[in-house]
Amino acid sequence: MSDMALAPVAQVAPTRRTHVIRPVAAKEFLEMRRDRRLLALFAFAALLTLASLGFGAAENARLTRERAAAAEADRLLWTSQGAKNPHAAAHFGQYAFKPTSPLSLADPGVDPYVGSAVWLEAHKQNEAQFRAARDGGIAARLGGLSAAFILQTVAPLIVLLAGFASFSGERESGTLKQLLSLGARPRDLLAGKAVALLGASAALLAPAAIGAAVAVATMTDANRFSLADQFLRLAAMTAGYAVYLAGFVFLALGVSALAKSSRAALVTLLAFWLVNSFLAPRLATDVARGLAPTPTAQEFRAAIAKDKAKSFGHDETHPAFIAFRDEVLKKYGVKDVKDLPVSFRGLSLRKDDENGYAIFDRHFGALQGAYERQDALRASAGFLFPLLALRPFSMAFAGSDSRAQFDFAAAAEAHRRDIQNEVSDNIIHFQRDESYVAGTELWKRIAAFSYRAPAVGFAASGSGEAIAGLIGWLALTVAFALFAIRRLRPL
Amino acid sequence: MSAFLAGLRFEALSLKRERAVWLALGALVAAILFSLHTGAARVETQKSLVAAARAEEAQRIEGLKKTLAKLEAGDAKDEPPPYRDPRNAAFMGGGPAARVAALAPTPLALAAVGQSDLFPPVVKVTTASKDSFLYADEIENPANLMSGSTDLAFVIVFVYPLVLLALTFNLLAGEREQGTLAMTLASARNPRATLAGKLAARVLAPIGATLLAAALGIAAFAGASALASPSFIALATIILLYGLFWAALACAVDGLGKSSSFNALTLICAFVVVTMLAPAGINSLAGYAHPAPSRIDMVLAARAASTDADKARDAALARYTDEHSHEKRDRAREGTLRRLATQEAAFQRVEGVIAQHDAQLDRQRAVADRLSFVSPALLTYRALADVAGAGEARYRGFLDRIAAFHVEWRDFFLSRAKAGTAMTAADYGALPRFAEQGEQTSADMAAPLAGALIPTVLLAIFAARGLRRVRP
Repeated sequence: MSDMALAPVAQVAPTRRTHVIRPVAAKEFLEMRRDRRLLALFAFAALLTLASLGFGAAENARLTRERAAAAEADRLLWTSQGAKNPHAAAHFGQYAFKPTSPLSLADPGVDPYVGSAVWLEAHKQNEAQFRAARDGGIAARLGGLSAAFILQTVAPLIVLLAGFASFSGERESGTLKQLLSLGARPRDLLAGKAVALLGASAALLAPAAIGAAVAVATMTDANRFSLADQFLRLAAMTAGYAVYLAGFVFLALGVSALAKSSRAALVTLLAFWLVNSFLAPRLATDVARGLAPTPTAQEFRAAIAKDKAKSFGHDETHPAFIAFRDEVLKKYGVKDVKDLPVSFRGLSLRKDDENGYAIFDRHFGALQGAYERQDALRASAGFLFPLLALRPFSMAFAGSDSRAQFDFAAAAEAHRRDIQNEVSDNIIHFQRDESYVAGTELWKRIAAFSYRAPAVGFAASGSGEAIAGLIGWLALTVAFALFAIRRLRPL
Repeated sequence: MSAFLAGLRFEALSLKRERAVWLALGALVAAILFSLHTGAARVETQKSLVAAARAEEAQRIEGLKKTLAKLEAGDAKDEPPPYRDPRNAAFMGGGPAARVAALAPTPLALAAVGQSDLFPPVVKVTTASKDSFLYADEIENPANLMSGSTDLAFVIVFVYPLVLLALTFNLLAGEREQGTLAMTLASARNPRATLAGKLAARVLAPIGATLLAAALGIAAFAGASALASPSFIALATIILLYGLFWAALACAVDGLGKSSSFNALTLICAFVVVTMLAPAGINSLAGYAHPAPSRIDMVLAARAASTDADKARDAALARYTDEHSHEKRDRAREGTLRRLATQEAAFQRVEGVIAQHDAQLDRQRAVADRLSFVSPALLTYRALADVAGAGEARYRGFLDRIAAFHVEWRDFFLSRAKAGTAMTAADYGALPRFAEQGEQTSADMAAPLAGALIPTVLLAIFAARGLRRVRP
């Protein structure tokens, strides 16, 4: 601190603010460059980020290959299932596989904790199956190496380590007194130090942003994803992380200005980092789970079964079945289903499916609502503990959050309904007796599941709370730093 | 010894006067008690899941028995379709009579979530291939699963070492910077014993508070009897060893003779590497070396097998019809035989795929296990999950027992279905039961003990050398 370039400050201190800000920023940069430990930390973080992007890219490519191959194999199974009654084919069903979002290589989000395949079968809306985390073991519960993980936890720590002594160190070495006595305004000192630390934050962020951009440009399948959309998403993610780290810059400066010693500043900042990185996400989850509980799987299925029991399924003695049959007979003006010009079995299957659609929409919609309430509760303290806001923001733009999963599940369910409708229509028009079978022509006419992930607007529309949280966090820390430097006093 | 005790007593007194120490210890104790409180609620939920599944099973089987009694007495209005007929063994074993296999929580289940939020405590075993029932998930917001819960394992692995580090990182450096080190060394008859005593006070305070809070919390939320279990001794040993590892590390760094700031930065970097980066890196490396198998392969294999069996059945039926065109077709019997054929084909194919997957996961796990020795935090987390009965080994054991029960269950129903024998009330009374394991769990403590003990001893030796070198 003692080698501070005082001369430029002394010469121009009372005049233009930039003449103070610039040398202060230059001096801070110089000190950071001279601090070999800090440089080593930056280099280590950059290497770690690039390595994690490498792991993410390899995993992403593997999953994309696996799912594409599985979709092809399942299509072959569907089209070559042989001659059978169309309703039997509907029971055999198809599988829908979730395409891996290109940016999940940087932030896998909830992907390991949701299923990747949905069985589209007759009568039932199924949940996605096969959570990868089940096979991940205990180590996976302590976090996977991803660029998001590094930027969310390690990068703010490095910012705090680079900035904790910004004011307190100057106070301890006596240079703060000199600076203030020369007429340097605390606000300008803050701006200069902030510029330096923001530059350091940008250096932490750059390898991730550039690495992810290169990976996305080279790995994205243009037939499935728009490259422009992926770059917009990446730009939004970069902006979010920049705001997140900028908040830590101002927090470090504010605490450093207020703290009695560098040691006290370090301890305070480390305590905050610990709470933000580890305690807050878990505590917020426990609170959210308590305030917006979700049903157990058994309760959920029992509630659906209870509603479904009001419809008739395959039960021809069910009062609803008899009422529907009477209604159909009346509509066609005949006395027996045998006299109908169409297959009554097909009509009843379609009617039962339609009854089911409303029931599934209600129950799955309520479940999604409960998840969204929990997520909103968790993000509500994002302005105080910014990881609570950044995590959902980052996942949303990476296309690896719960909403993206629900969008996929909704598309899969829409496809299931298309299959059911087409199959029932075929029965309605062509089945004359129980021995009726359809063949490859029908199976091929029923399209394969094709899903295109929604554009960046979808991510933005669901990130209002997270964006507000991040902006609030930055505003709060800037205000805190401005407040702290008003009380800036030399020893 | 008296110098050691004098140092310990003096340091204890000065610690008592520091408000920050009380604050840190108070926060640690509060976190432990909160984690055990939420753990107790989680265990209650698990118990209620098992109880609800058992109640549903009892109601379902009772319903089948009643329908069976009506059919046998000739009181039923209509002949039920095969899939609702309690006499039809091929269909009943596949769902309507499915048996619940449950994993009861252990006495210390409140200590760690482990794998319990990913593996439901209840599996409904049927005669179908495992892909249709073994991978059912409990409903949970995926963002909750990602964040994790505030369990005791988390507090021990992440919060406890930070409190320990906060108290021990600058014993020598702090005294040196305050100018009291020279006085301490000069005034003591045995300076090193005095310093060791002071260090012991700083180490024992958080370790003692943690052990005491854990014991009180477990007694309060799981019952005092849980304290008498071998698992609690294992838990206490893990906490003690993990604490000693961090204390030894802090002393080793302090013994280098650098400043408080150097110590703090070095230790926080070590904390990040040991608790965050090493586990994440191990996970990524093991996954890269031996990627987790695609469970979708299993489903596709089952579907391909059932399609093949369906076609084979069609061909066989066509041949039979050609040769016996005068015979009337028994559709219900044909449906049953078709189901048996497709299920059997899918079962065989899925068992093969699962065996391959298990072998692949074993290879991945072996790599992770070998690498986990670089992170005492990971070893501790794993050991705590094992002590709580929520570790990988216990779930693997549960799945193995389900596999054995699955074979027994299939034999029971399929032998009757193949013979064309109708299920009777006696059969329903003699349905195979899943043998539940006792509540106790035998955690393998050798790896975590060795993994934490060896670096602790090495660091302690290094720290002792630093202590010997200490100069005012």
